[in-house]
Amino acid sequence: MTLRPNEPAPLLKSILLLGAVFSLLMVAPVTLAAEAPTGTLTVTFEGLKTKTGAVMLSLADSPESYDGKAPASGQAMVPATSDTVSQTFKGLVPGHYAIKAFHDVNGDGKMGSNPFGMPTEPFAFSNNAHGAMGPAKWEAASFEVKAGDNTHTIAID
Amino acid sequence: MNRRNLLQSLSGVALASVLTPELAQAKAQLRHASGFDWRIGFADLDADLAPTAMRRISGHAPVDLAGSLYRNGPGKFHRPGGSVDHWFDGDGLMRAFRVAEGEATLAARFVDTPKRRTDIAANAVVTPGFGTAAKPGARVDSNDDTNGANISVLPVGNEVWALWEAGSPIALDAKTLETKGMKTLRPDLAHVPFLAHPRIDTNGDVWSLGMSSDKALVWRLARDGSLKSADLIDLPMASYIHDFTASERYLILILQPWVQDRMVLPFVDSLSWHPEKGTKVLVLDKNDLTQRRVFELPAFFAFHYGDAWEESDGTLRFDGCVSANPSFAINNGRNIMKGTWTPEPSPILTMFVLSPNGKARMDATKISAEFPRNNQRMAGSARRYTVHATGAGSDGPLFNGLATHDWKTGKSDAYDFGPSHLMEEAVFVPRPAGTAELDGWLLAPSVNLLARATELHVFDARRVVAGPICTWRADVVLPVSLHGAFVVA
Repeated sequence: MTLRPNEPAPLLKSILLLGAVFSLLMVAPVTLAAEAPTGTLTVTFEGLKTKTGAVMLSLADSPESYDGKAPASGQAMVPATSDTVSQTFKGLVPGHYAIKAFHDVNGDGKMGSNPFGMPTEPFAFSNNAHGAMGPAKWEAASFEVKAGDNTHTIAID
Repeated sequence: MNRRNLLQSLSGVALASVLTPELAQAKAQLRHASGFDWRIGFADLDADLAPTAMRRISGHAPVDLAGSLYRNGPGKFHRPGGSVDHWFDGDGLMRAFRVAEGEATLAARFVDTPKRRTDIAANAVVTPGFGTAAKPGARVDSNDDTNGANISVLPVGNEVWALWEAGSPIALDAKTLETKGMKTLRPDLAHVPFLAHPRIDTNGDVWSLGMSSDKALVWRLARDGSLKSADLIDLPMASYIHDFTASERYLILILQPWVQDRMVLPFVDSLSWHPEKGTKVLVLDKNDLTQRRVFELPAFFAFHYGDAWEESDGTLRFDGCVSANPSFAINNGRNIMKGTWTPEPSPILTMFVLSPNGKARMDATKISAEFPRNNQRMAGSARRYTVHATGAGSDGPLFNGLATHDWKTGKSDAYDFGPSHLMEEAVFVPRPAGTAELDGWLLAPSVNLLARATELHVFDARRVVAGPICTWRADVVLPVSLHGAFVVA
């Protein structure tokens, strides 16, 4: 199939959902057992072509969370001040995580789309995973966060 | 013409050209044995072609013919891990035939698309297309990741834009043919499709459409490629649109009943032929797109139309190359990639007439025709002639000759190369000092199947029957191209 813009765009729905989550500014609190060792994750976005707006990202700790059916583990709005920007999440329960992100170039808090529903602002997934006519799947985008320090780099734009 | 007459005229052609399968196979084998193997014109070009001198093999070039003929078309179809399933899904290959001081050179360069990069990295065609399904490893973030950039070319300043029809234009350097990148005409309109057949007003304004089901975005660009306006309009019905036409005052969208009505892969399989819906012709005022008229016609299929014009009483006329249904796009476009061909009637040159009383009709000739072109200086104004490819072979794809059709006398001025040539679209190039409609040349390449070469022919547009006044040859076969544009030096 040529991905023609009139076709349903699961990718777009997913991304718009991500935007909607941001617009509600709801960050799910992460509850931690005090005695368990936790991980710190520093996510770096590189390759930003424009230094306006912010990178909006959502961190998921399960396929359900990744698909928007459960709360996100963490969210962030990282001002796009440089071609490389970072965000750190602390106190993560070791396990598998995945990230959806988009560069809100015009700073309106939403994932832009053209009149036919195709995203117009850059987006990316952890592992630099790509979808085929939809968002990258959890299996492709998930990565392990261990106790202690972790880093993950995503190319966006 | 009413529906019955149209069908009769189409079936008359069908009867004249239908062969039994046995006879067709025997003829195909004979041609194969004779060296006339049409598959040569659809084989891969594996690498870019650096500028190469062409050898003049007959005639002399007119002294005042100078410039570049840019042509686009699919050029790479096969990869070790999997190939395209449809001719329309090959990688866009931009060619430049440059003519100066009686000599010609040829260069060709693939458009550096995300699709091509993905397929090269996968060592297989994994990217979905018009008639090719997605394979594991496809990377599709937007429709532009499937952009073949392989249909036509729009010269814009020191760039040439490779055009597809379901994605953005892709800019190439006009001199080197190096890809510069996707054109986003406005940030919020990124990835909106841009049809491969823009209409260009005599004042330089460029019109195109971005199609999406029963909506279209109407693009209006200045000749320098800057955006003047982009307006979203509703259509009377969803339709596959490859081309549209325009008079000086109106845009004319022909909505044929080939409709996307299901979500299956690949794209061509999501379209259904609904002849019972008929064809709707939407006429829009260029200066006020809310001013619209809709005309009704019987069902037919066409890829291509000529420029339209308006007569003093308000009648609109335009020409097109009409088939009974989209069988080429559905079937033979795939067959070609398998090296087979199912005989089908040639499209027929047809005049469309939209009358002020709201009635529309189609006056079909009996002439085999595709790739209609006309003198661009007369775009939107009354004209007398259509230039077109003609002489469809019954046992192989495409055409063996070209012609000008005189709508006033009904006569055709044609030249037939015979089965040894696959004739490509001819572009009319006005003589620098010329003002008459046919005062100029037709520039058209062909694939010479016997010599296994790409040739460039120059015809006097007023005497096509006399054959080429000059022919150059390059000892390399470039796959047959689709559409071109000439830029005067």
